[in-house]
Amino acid sequence: MGREAILNSIKKNKPELVNIPKIDIQLFDEEIDLVETFKNNVQLVGGSIAEINQINNLDSEIKKLYPNAKNIVTHIPESNLGTIEITNETTPHSLKNVDLTIIKGEFGISENGAVWISEDQFPIRVLPFITNDLVILLQKESLCLHMYNAYKKIFDRRRTFGLFISGPSKTADIEQCLVIGAQGAMNLTVILV
Amino acid sequence: MSHSKKAKIFNKNEDKVNWHDKALWFVREKRDVAANKVKGWEHLRDYASGIKANVLSNLDNYLVEFESNAIKNGIKVHWASNAEEHNTIVHKILQKHNAKNIVKSKSMLTEECHLNPYLEAQGIEVVDTDLGEYIVQIAKEAPSHIVLPAIHKTKEEVDELFQEHLGTTPSNGNPEYLTNEARKHLRSKFLNADAAITGVNFAVAETGGFVVCTNEGNADMGAHLAKVHIACMGIEKIIPKEEHLGIFLCLLARSATGQPITTYSSHFNKPIEGNEMHIVIVDNGRTEQLNREDFRSSLHCIRCGACMNTCPIYRRSGGHSYDATIPGPIGSILSPGKDLKKHSSLPFASTLCGSCTNVCPVKINIHEQLYKWRQIVVKDVKQPFVKKVVLKITGWLMARPKLFNLLGKSGRFILKYAPRFVVYSKLNAWGNARELPKIEKQNFNQWYKNRNKNG
Repeated sequence: MGREAILNSIKKNKPELVNIPKIDIQLFDEEIDLVETFKNNVQLVGGSIAEINQINNLDSEIKKLYPNAKNIVTHIPESNLGTIEITNETTPHSLKNVDLTIIKGEFGISENGAVWISEDQFPIRVLPFITNDLVILLQKESLCLHMYNAYKKIFDRRRTFGLFISGPSKTADIEQCLVIGAQGAMNLTVILV
Repeated sequence: MSHSKKAKIFNKNEDKVNWHDKALWFVREKRDVAANKVKGWEHLRDYASGIKANVLSNLDNYLVEFESNAIKNGIKVHWASNAEEHNTIVHKILQKHNAKNIVKSKSMLTEECHLNPYLEAQGIEVVDTDLGEYIVQIAKEAPSHIVLPAIHKTKEEVDELFQEHLGTTPSNGNPEYLTNEARKHLRSKFLNADAAITGVNFAVAETGGFVVCTNEGNADMGAHLAKVHIACMGIEKIIPKEEHLGIFLCLLARSATGQPITTYSSHFNKPIEGNEMHIVIVDNGRTEQLNREDFRSSLHCIRCGACMNTCPIYRRSGGHSYDATIPGPIGSILSPGKDLKKHSSLPFASTLCGSCTNVCPVKINIHEQLYKWRQIVVKDVKQPFVKKVVLKITGWLMARPKLFNLLGKSGRFILKYAPRFVVYSKLNAWGNARELPKIEKQNFNQWYKNRNKNG
């Protein structure tokens, strides 16, 4: 049952081989300001943008943005705001009361305001979803134009778990009214440095 | 019940129909704005269509490649020929882990297989965690749209449902309040879930990984908290290489809601250490559709729902009038392949305007396939007597241009001079709820001849 039946049925029913299209990425290239476009798109998808001139200002900027955050996970050496230590051994369920999480983004994509983050930046997979608010620190130089560049960048990664994240969680399932804060993080700020 | 009969039920509430129509058209317009911003949009559609055509022509090899790569990464792969096998496989996995509380994110495949009622009958609780799906689940209804499952519900109706099921206080349908209450409730479900079930948007042959797209984050909340993650996919979800995601993710959300990309596009490649990750690959009639040359490309579908948002019939008849897991234009070319008799009215639920084809990100010729299904339906399924007679008479008349012209002339005369109660009688469905256009003296044929004469 199952496997062989399906594969045989496909062999019997599939059409003659159609060649795979060769993709010309240049068709999608454009001359745009990567940083400005990225900033606009992050706001378009409901996220916030902050910019700091030097990394030393990171913590003061975050404190300004999230003055009430108490339970904080920082998984970057640049910030000292963390109040909760996590390791690979941490049970994901214990993170249910985390107010704020600060992680690093690997790179951003201008055309859609998304940031690639992966398990390398957060040892517990549920962290960027279960946290109430999320801050992603991102290097301006890391921005690329579109998704095609993005997949080139992550081609050689250690494949476990990773995602493109674009803004805070949201829904419009009640009469098409956009509500920010569905099941994942309520709030996302990308801090560009 | 036929589509038109069910549509009549939906049309009883005129305000609601008007709202439904406008709300979906608004989504269609957002799609246009988003698509127009992308350089090379039409190239993206061409590539997506080409990649899918390649996938279907090499599907068996891609599935085997996907399977072997997934297994290398520690994912367990299962194959199901039909809905029953799919449900049994899922149940067995849950049984092995003694899983009683399940959270599920959106998956049209599990709807198609009727997984929820199957598991519930075995004493297992399944909670749909996408807000729209949660709303229709507690309302004991099916989703009426594949991307906006509760688009047929007013906020007041949601308010009442939440009062009954979540004990919320009446809020006149305040969306923020209601969403937040659902969030709190679903959080407790996520934290107590024994297993999570998700769909699959794309499965990559080259890597053995798969991608799940959501805006709410519900798939991830489930999959990363529970010990067991089961992802269910139709065989057609395969794409050859990871880089092809660059094409599909560019198209999917823009076509669906006008967002540049979904909030979360999660790439699953390996289970969390100590946890289990399963993939169930399902046929359930897809290989049969693969065999139908005229309808094969319906398997290109990436479930964005753009054809629904743009369809003048869908917008005014509502998803439930289709009585199928996938409603709307794409559903109307998929469903007849599963049960021609049951779904025989669906290919006729269209004006054949072609708008669905124009917006489809993978370039399925939906309206042409609707037309082709009609040819099959009238041959294989008994048609209503009146329809048969009317079509016969029309065919006979059309073959006699002189008589046709004469009748046209007298028709125009009658429409012009007959009293209003005759013209707008029950027999004239066109005059129902709208004014007929002004009646001209000449028909198109005469107008065209005169125009040519006058140079």
